[in-house]
Amino acid sequence: MMDIEQYLRDNKPEMPEEGQFLVETNARLCNVEGVKKCVDEDRHRGRVALIIALGAGLVLGCLATLLVVIYPFPSIEVNQSALAKVVAELLKWKAFLIALIAGCAIALGVVFMSRKKEAL
Amino acid sequence: MTRERFISEARACQGRLRRFLASLCGDAALADDIAQEALVRAYVMSDRFAGSFKAWLFRIAYNCFIDNLRRVPPPAVDLMAPEALHVADKEESDAAFRHEALKRALSRIPEKERTAIVLHYFEDLPVKEIAAIMNIPVGTVKYYLSVGRNHLKEHIRL
Repeated sequence: MMDIEQYLRDNKPEMPEEGQFLVETNARLCNVEGVKKCVDEDRHRGRVALIIALGAGLVLGCLATLLVVIYPFPSIEVNQSALAKVVAELLKWKAFLIALIAGCAIALGVVFMSRKKEAL
Repeated sequence: MTRERFISEARACQGRLRRFLASLCGDAALADDIAQEALVRAYVMSDRFAGSFKAWLFRIAYNCFIDNLRRVPPPAVDLMAPEALHVADKEESDAAFRHEALKRALSRIPEKERTAIVLHYFEDLPVKEIAAIMNIPVGTVKYYLSVGRNHLKEHIRL
């Protein structure tokens, strides 16, 4: 009785000629090559744009810092008055804001519960 | 990896790659389609390649085969009704017939067992490399090989 392992090793399938396969594969690789080049160019352009944006940001940041250092501004006074205005505005709309937050919380709760039901 | 190097590596592996896929699919034309798809995928991802080219290419090809299987599922096979095939008798010892019988038997066993059997016995790959290609533990490959051999024995009378 023949061993199954030996039988498998003795009966490796043979593949037909490779010529046509290689020709078709080469053609597909040529097509892919074109797409790959376009993608690589896009990536390169993206990288260049990113570097330019970083450089511009750095330069603008340095300029802004320089301006602040050259022309100092009484920021504390401005901040305090702005804060007082914001607090007064919030107090005026207190009831409306509380209702809005409560509404959002209820809506979120309903969405969460319905999703949980769907998952189950 | 340059295109020239990729093509020379692919040329060296393509015979085995096609045989591997043909043994999995049981259809040489479909195997060639999947092999081409695998080579294109490999070429696109060749920048990320590291290690053994053959194992890497076989892994991509196996994933292409699985994708193809999901797109076009094969007809259901009844494992409980094995066909006894007399393949080693004197009057039936023709090589082509034996291969046909083996092809039929392989198509009747589950895909993972078939993959392990084909890679181990047709491509002579070690269990560790098969585990890397199939992305499963070494122990699981050994299990698939053992169960696959038993399933094949049910379909082929030696």
